[in-house]
Amino acid sequence: MRRLVAIKILLHDRSTTAGAVLGVVAIIFLVGQQLTIFFGLLSFMSALVDHSGADVWVSSKNTDNINAAGSLPIRYVDRVMGLPEVEWAEPIVSTAGVYRRKDGKFEPVQVLGLARPRLAGGPWRFSEGSIDVLLDYEGLTVDQLNLKIFGNPRTEDILEIGESRIRIAGITENIRGFGGTLVFTNLNKAREISGYPPDRCSNILVKFKPGTNASLAFGKLRGLLPKAEVLSTESLSARTRIYYLTNTGIGSSFGFSTMIGVLVGIVIIMLTMYTNVLNRQKDFAVLRALGARKKDIVVIVFYQALFVALVGIFVGLLLLAFFLGGTRDSRLPSYMISWVPPVHAFFTVILCLLGSLLAMRRAIRIEPASAFR
Amino acid sequence: MPKIAVRLDNITREFFDGKRTRLVLRSTSLGIYTQEFTVIAGPSGSGKTTLLTIIGLILKPTSGNLVINEKDVTDLSEDELATFRMQKFGFVFQNADLIPAVNVMQNILIPTAIQGGSVSPTEKGKAEKLLEEFGLISYAEAMPQQLSAGQRQRVAIARAMINDPVLLLCDEPTSALDVESSTIVLDTLKKLSQDENRGVVMVTHDPRVFPYADRMIKLENGEVIYDPRSSGEDENEKKR
Repeated sequence: MRRLVAIKILLHDRSTTAGAVLGVVAIIFLVGQQLTIFFGLLSFMSALVDHSGADVWVSSKNTDNINAAGSLPIRYVDRVMGLPEVEWAEPIVSTAGVYRRKDGKFEPVQVLGLARPRLAGGPWRFSEGSIDVLLDYEGLTVDQLNLKIFGNPRTEDILEIGESRIRIAGITENIRGFGGTLVFTNLNKAREISGYPPDRCSNILVKFKPGTNASLAFGKLRGLLPKAEVLSTESLSARTRIYYLTNTGIGSSFGFSTMIGVLVGIVIIMLTMYTNVLNRQKDFAVLRALGARKKDIVVIVFYQALFVALVGIFVGLLLLAFFLGGTRDSRLPSYMISWVPPVHAFFTVILCLLGSLLAMRRAIRIEPASAFR
Repeated sequence: MPKIAVRLDNITREFFDGKRTRLVLRSTSLGIYTQEFTVIAGPSGSGKTTLLTIIGLILKPTSGNLVINEKDVTDLSEDELATFRMQKFGFVFQNADLIPAVNVMQNILIPTAIQGGSVSPTEKGKAEKLLEEFGLISYAEAMPQQLSAGQRQRVAIARAMINDPVLLLCDEPTSALDVESSTIVLDTLKKLSQDENRGVVMVTHDPRVFPYADRMIKLENGEVIYDPRSSGEDENEKKR
């Protein structure tokens, strides 16, 4: 009966209930949308590392993030290959270049050169072509999301990066880097574009043989390359994300806007639920006179808060799903980790219940005697 | 044979209005009986509603004792008083004060499960019986706003009756009703008051009610100035 009365009163006061639901939707959608962009950016930061297929990344000493690695002697590749635990080791070159559009305008790019024929660390999703197009000396891939800034090139277009001739051989699907507009080519073309020294590389990607004792192999690698940073893929990925979060304003900016979203939501919930109780003072007084104890009134307001939370969460998550769907193929970084929505919903329920405390306090202060006034 | 349902011993009630303390009910001792239609009358501000709410365990007296079934309930906790109210008393308010968000049937059933739990089929059957008795069965699913003032007041009486109360406490239930509706409501209450296990107490200044009263208590300035039971007039009346 308490639940029925609680929900019916809520549905009876549609406008105030809609306001409270809006508060929950604000929390779910605004915070959720901030989180999707945040996770989208996080995934960009370490996308190259995460999709490399390697177990180990060898970088210059004190590398803080994948986009700011120094250079290594290329002979390290042979040293690494000498270890029996290693299945393959491939160098990559990460360098900068200036892309010349068909209309003569220029665009700075981050060029990633991959060693043929394995092309380890290369792109992993294509809308046109495949990774094999990079086997061609002049072959280069651009991402579909960057086509506009590249002047809408088409495959087989011949263009220039620096003074080097390149051929748009493939178009990748939503592969974006964090250090700049990313293009992939082979190692030789990357060196040609930037004049990168032939005896050096940016990183070496290493894959262990199946069944290898990883910690033992790491120890051997570190002993073999004392002047280099030997990191697992996961470590470099985490280190890269932490670098950007702590050394740029991204972390605090997202934290702040998330907090604002939560505050706005909780204030809306608090005020509307309080108003709801104020509007229904007489009803609460009558219920008290008819035998409702203070705890029964608390239970009624609790059910109301829970109902508002559940409806708001449903609507908010629906909007968030539309947002994610709508931005999937856009330049807006949006990505949601599967465990985040339930956790977000759980905390929103808690916030909603906290937001209803003021209303509960007001409701239990209503004297049953006021039913007689 | 009338039985004493509630006994008030030297009950007083004060209110503090933020500046000074006002004595709203002076030392009052009286008994409220079953099988009796008791009317508490008096001018505005005489303490009628205060007395009614003290009898109904809604307001605590400032001093004195309240005894129900030989049990002193004056010092019971708020929760215990709420449970006592729910089990022993039925309330009929001035404007019926049905919960507008729930339908007639649900309004009647509120006192059965407001402290949790669900409504049993027996209670539902009882509510249907009450609606039938009051000629409102076809309105069971209607919302309070769809009823006339008189119908709402009869639903309020049905709600007050659902837990078989010892006392029905009514706060000017006819003040907002036309003559016809008042008569129906008063006839209903009078009939209910004739049960040997139930009494009706009504606060009013509506003279239409007075002929229905078995006992009329008059209040002025927070003091009982007339009560046939204490003056002996009632006994004389019975002898006649």
